[in-house]
Amino acid sequence: MKKILIANRGEIAVRVIRACRDLGIATVAVYSECDRTALHVRMADEAWPVGPSAPRDSYLRIDTIVDVARRSGADAVHPGYGFLAENAAFATSCRDAGVIFIGPSPEAITLMGSKTAARRVAIKAGVPVVPGTEEPLDERTSDAHVRAVAERIGYPLMLKAVSGGGGKGMRMVSTAADLPGALRAARSEAQSAFGDGAVYLERLILTPRHVEVQLLGDHHGTVLPFVERECSIQRRHQKVVEESPSLAVSPELRRQMTSAAAAVARMAGYTNAGTIEFLLGGDGSFYFLEMNTRLQVEHPITEMVTGVDLVQWQIRIARGEPLTLDAEAILSPHAHAIECRIYAEDPEHGFLPSPGRILGLRVPSGPGVRDDGGADEGDDVPIFYDPLISKLITWGDDRPQAIARMKRALAEYEVRGIRTTIPFFRWLLDDEDFRAARIDTTFIDRKLGTPEGAPMQAITPDHEWLAAMAAAVHQFSSAVPASTASARTASRWTDAGRAEAVRS
Amino acid sequence: MTFEIEIGETVRTVTVQRKGPVLQVTVDGRAQIVDARRVGDATLSLLLAPGGDAAARSVDVSVVAGRTSGGYDVHVGGRTIPVQVRVAGAYRHQRTVVSAIGSGPQRVVAPMPGKIVRVLVTPGEVVTARQGLVVVEAMKMENELRAARDGQVRAVSVVEGQLVEAGAVLVVIE
Repeated sequence: MKKILIANRGEIAVRVIRACRDLGIATVAVYSECDRTALHVRMADEAWPVGPSAPRDSYLRIDTIVDVARRSGADAVHPGYGFLAENAAFATSCRDAGVIFIGPSPEAITLMGSKTAARRVAIKAGVPVVPGTEEPLDERTSDAHVRAVAERIGYPLMLKAVSGGGGKGMRMVSTAADLPGALRAARSEAQSAFGDGAVYLERLILTPRHVEVQLLGDHHGTVLPFVERECSIQRRHQKVVEESPSLAVSPELRRQMTSAAAAVARMAGYTNAGTIEFLLGGDGSFYFLEMNTRLQVEHPITEMVTGVDLVQWQIRIARGEPLTLDAEAILSPHAHAIECRIYAEDPEHGFLPSPGRILGLRVPSGPGVRDDGGADEGDDVPIFYDPLISKLITWGDDRPQAIARMKRALAEYEVRGIRTTIPFFRWLLDDEDFRAARIDTTFIDRKLGTPEGAPMQAITPDHEWLAAMAAAVHQFSSAVPASTASARTASRWTDAGRAEAVRS
Repeated sequence: MTFEIEIGETVRTVTVQRKGPVLQVTVDGRAQIVDARRVGDATLSLLLAPGGDAAARSVDVSVVAGRTSGGYDVHVGGRTIPVQVRVAGAYRHQRTVVSAIGSGPQRVVAPMPGKIVRVLVTPGEVVTARQGLVVVEAMKMENELRAARDGQVRAVSVVEGQLVEAGAVLVVIE
């Protein structure tokens, strides 16, 4: 394998380029119109345009991307996560074009990508699942039928897109009255995000933890599970903080969960990197939730506590190498790692998207700190894609040290020009329940419900005094007189803030 | 040079004078000796020397131009603080403009560029505060824009499926 095309953008494209560099493999980036100067384009050895900015016209164009792979002479394609990563048709097209798809087989993607089929695989592997529908409810299913199914499962329940992921096309339904609205919203979101409006229902397990097991499978019959990740800190069903190991998982429970995960993967004939997600109840009972047939956003925390480069292994597996990792070692976490997802969203205004230009960027570093970023100073954060701009990961001897380092790193982190979720994480890391690891998947929504209107980070008179002084000094020392100083670009957070102020 | 600096509801009078290699900055009568150095376009390293003492407080700040003339975002201590800077005396005119907002018809604008996925109201419809008006999709998430207060929909300027720029007026309520 001499050259790899990365069918993605942003931080994950940068991450894959780095793994390729480490292995001495040449890289081909693809880019949409608005991504011409994006970091992944500038870092790659080659870059090819694949169409207009909207994802369906560029990063989701199977024909264009496979054609670029062929014309650029790439031996393999790495899909990253999102976009075409879990698209069986794309994996098939790569295979047909004689290009290696770095991921599982199209058959495994199809099988485990359908949430209902995946549940059947788990049941067959002897792994418990959350009670719910076995068959997808597509657009042709009448609301009345869905209501009848819902009555049978019982409220509260979760409504989920069959092809969903990343919290999209997912709604909690407390009562029968909420069902029609939730069904409409979930279907429309799923249709636009995944091109499939089919949904299914699942009983809601109250205050569960979300614990998942990373796996690697080679083409020689070996499947190896890794120490678990705890991903209970979620907002709108989207993970925002992950850590490894989970404080709720004992060595005995780890043995059970990782064995169950490996059993599901073996039953599916799974190869390359994948993740089995579980719900973990307070009593130590766990249920298979779904399988992600790709690299996860949060893979770095596993890398930090095991020392294994998962992306390198994806590539090595794809070129036929057998897994030579020590199965015991990768189940024994070396200390503790935490990840915070830095999104271009304004946490002080209901997490409204905050696209725009990054005017200044200072990225933290130092002992135990890793930043997997995808944007650079001067870059625009486009409106078309996921607003994740970076993942900040810290490592420590134990959880308190990992948290202390995260606080230090977040204090160093500065993003100017757009709003980010950094203040939210500074606030979260000071929360007593978080520090005591008293967390479950409802944690954030519960916590955000309490300080209504209060800023996540209070601005003290001292901050204002410093700001007033700094602004005056800045104006005083600027060559440009005050009256002509920039009626510059619309900084969108101002608009967003104003809109929010008008709304609430 | 004297400035009037507005942060939130408060206006501070700040005077900056050069004192040899350093500055004397007086905020509402409280004087402070400041050793200020520029680092790049936006960043200032400030050393605040209390009464000429050698022990100095080090403060790193960034001042980024906002969207209006004299408007800045000051980044300090992990906070982002919007400020308005006026050369002393030029302030009052601006204030009357600001206070005019909040009465009259309510114009609901797109907070970010995006796509209109749903329009939930029609002209003439009576709406209550916090009622959903329009759903805008940006960055793959749907955001519902709501009414700030009770009123009647005077105009709906968008249709479902339409792409809008930031600041575009979507609905007018009176």
